[in-house]
Amino acid sequence: MTPAIVILGAFLVLPIICAIVLAFYRVQLLGEVDFRFAGLRNFIRIQDDERVWIALQNTIQYVLIVVPCQTILALLLALLLNAKIRGRSWFRVAFFLPTVTSSAVLTLIFMWIYNSNGLLNNFLSFLGLPTYNWLGDPEVALKGIMLMNIWATAPLFMVIYLAALQDIPESLYEAASIDGATTWEKFWCITLPFLKPVTFFVITIGIIGTFQLFDQSYIFSNGSGGPDNSTLTIVLLIYQYAFNRLDMGYALALTLILALTIMIATLIQRYFFKEESLD
Amino acid sequence: MRKLIPSSIAIALLCFTVGCRSNNTNQVEITLSGWQANPNEGKLLDQTIREFEAKNPTIKVKREVINSQYMDVIRTRLIGEVAPDVFYLEAFEAPTLMKFGVLEPLNSYIKPDFKLNDFEPNLLNAFKRDGKVYGIPKDFSTLALFYNSTALKNAGITQPPRTWDELRTAAKKLTSDKNGKIDRYGMGVVPELPRQTFMIKAFGGQLVDPNNYAAFASPEGLKGLELVIDQYRRDRTAAQASDVGANSNSEAFGQGRVAMTLDGAWAIPYLKETFPKLKFQTAEVPKINDRQGTMLYTVAYVMNRQSKQKDAAWKLIQYLTDEAGMKRWANQGVALPSRRSVLAGLNYDRNPIYSPFVSGAKYGTIWQAGETLPTIVTSFDNQFVSALLGQQPLPEAMKRAQDTANREIYLSR
Repeated sequence: MTPAIVILGAFLVLPIICAIVLAFYRVQLLGEVDFRFAGLRNFIRIQDDERVWIALQNTIQYVLIVVPCQTILALLLALLLNAKIRGRSWFRVAFFLPTVTSSAVLTLIFMWIYNSNGLLNNFLSFLGLPTYNWLGDPEVALKGIMLMNIWATAPLFMVIYLAALQDIPESLYEAASIDGATTWEKFWCITLPFLKPVTFFVITIGIIGTFQLFDQSYIFSNGSGGPDNSTLTIVLLIYQYAFNRLDMGYALALTLILALTIMIATLIQRYFFKEESLD
Repeated sequence: MRKLIPSSIAIALLCFTVGCRSNNTNQVEITLSGWQANPNEGKLLDQTIREFEAKNPTIKVKREVINSQYMDVIRTRLIGEVAPDVFYLEAFEAPTLMKFGVLEPLNSYIKPDFKLNDFEPNLLNAFKRDGKVYGIPKDFSTLALFYNSTALKNAGITQPPRTWDELRTAAKKLTSDKNGKIDRYGMGVVPELPRQTFMIKAFGGQLVDPNNYAAFASPEGLKGLELVIDQYRRDRTAAQASDVGANSNSEAFGQGRVAMTLDGAWAIPYLKETFPKLKFQTAEVPKINDRQGTMLYTVAYVMNRQSKQKDAAWKLIQYLTDEAGMKRWANQGVALPSRRSVLAGLNYDRNPIYSPFVSGAKYGTIWQAGETLPTIVTSFDNQFVSALLGQQPLPEAMKRAQDTANREIYLSR
């Protein structure tokens, strides 16, 4: 038991306690190390920091669009692969591939695709649709990252859905068929309710993952969160304050705010899922 | 217990051998960290270091290349007390490190025969604080106008533009539009503060006030920046790298997607290697408001204050930056040597490609402005891009950038 407690304590509990305590300090790490108690000043500063609100807005917008999209896409893919189509296992491998790629590599490939003379724009102009400057235009930069992330994470959740789908007893569908249920009714009244716990899991993990978006927007904007703050996320902002400006206390205060936001989002979601399961 | 005895013997033996090794010779190892613009530069530096080691058998130099997020790595290592003994430092980052006292002042090491006066004063001053010298500038570069000779000839322009008005006229001629899609722009633009500070200064504007608060949104500062925005928005003869599908400004120029651009001397070897067919020449940055101006970037060798081998570290810095040392690796053309005598000896002022960079050193604006600069850069870059894209008028954008930066500076003090 003791080794486990020591390791967990040193690498899990201690950092959390340090983060919470230091969020109330002004920390000066470079040169002479210096801690000064700042009370709530770091938290009050958040109120006046325009960039925090931009980052929060971007992040929430990102969560609200990406989480539903990737969940629905994952479910659709899972349903498709669960149907008895030919070459099913081949499709499973093909669909799962994006998840295996590291996000850094993925971002670089997508930046090449998003290039103003790249694959995507060539394709769009071939179809006669408007093209975008995906990398340089603040209006669409975040959307580009969204697209990329949905494409990359949906397969992972697809696999989880697939596993859950195969757990639904065939007899239920047979019974429903005897009662004269249509395919749509079967999906609505059997499949979806059965998938509820998995959906809860997928959405929770999705929310946490999307709130912590960092690497894609970091590579995308070369660490700046640009163009025009459009790809600035909370975690990227924390990174900038902690390692570019060495403002560790303030960065930790922002970290606490992020943790709080994620907790609240999860709780709200749990509340909705509970409500529905009562009736 | 039975297992404990052999293992403790092993540990003791290990300690003994380690002890032996450090006692055996007086050899010390020092670390030199920096980035590397191209493999050639690295090879040359390695060669110089080997010569240094041959002359100083007691010192072993470990060279380390950090190419991505260099300053983040160095700062984190300085905090963790595992920073290299000697490392590269950009002028832009120097004020912060000098302020926090993590650099070793070099005054006591510098002997008269080192000839500190030989350094371009502009460059040396970037690494001075309160009369102490914290770094020895290794090289510098300025911005100059790169132009595609073939494109200029085809457009009937006989000589490169000398003033900004001429530049805009030339850019109009050079922008070529076939079937409704512009396939070559006249000018490549980098809408970032490190490249635009001299535009702020062109009409007498200032980047920061004496208290290091941002002050670029003055009417004088805006006048210079307006020229860039006008060319991009009204003339439509300028493009960013991302507009033409290139990864960098130099690449856009190399691919012929822009016919002119302002770039540093580091682009010369890159262009020659990557685009051997490209015919280009350089000229001084065109005069704005009848005044010469350009940016001036410099990098120095600095010593870590916590280094345990300060004498050895200084020997290395001295070897790399004294007259002979600088000559040894300055002729590669990535950047220009910071010693006036070496620079003169290389005849760069008579080399048509390099001479515009050399003349820029006299009137260039050094890329440095106190320890608040990182905050100001982020704020400026964000808003300047949005003004460039026409989302807000320039004066409004710059006012916002200045206010945001100053609020952040105020709150972090």
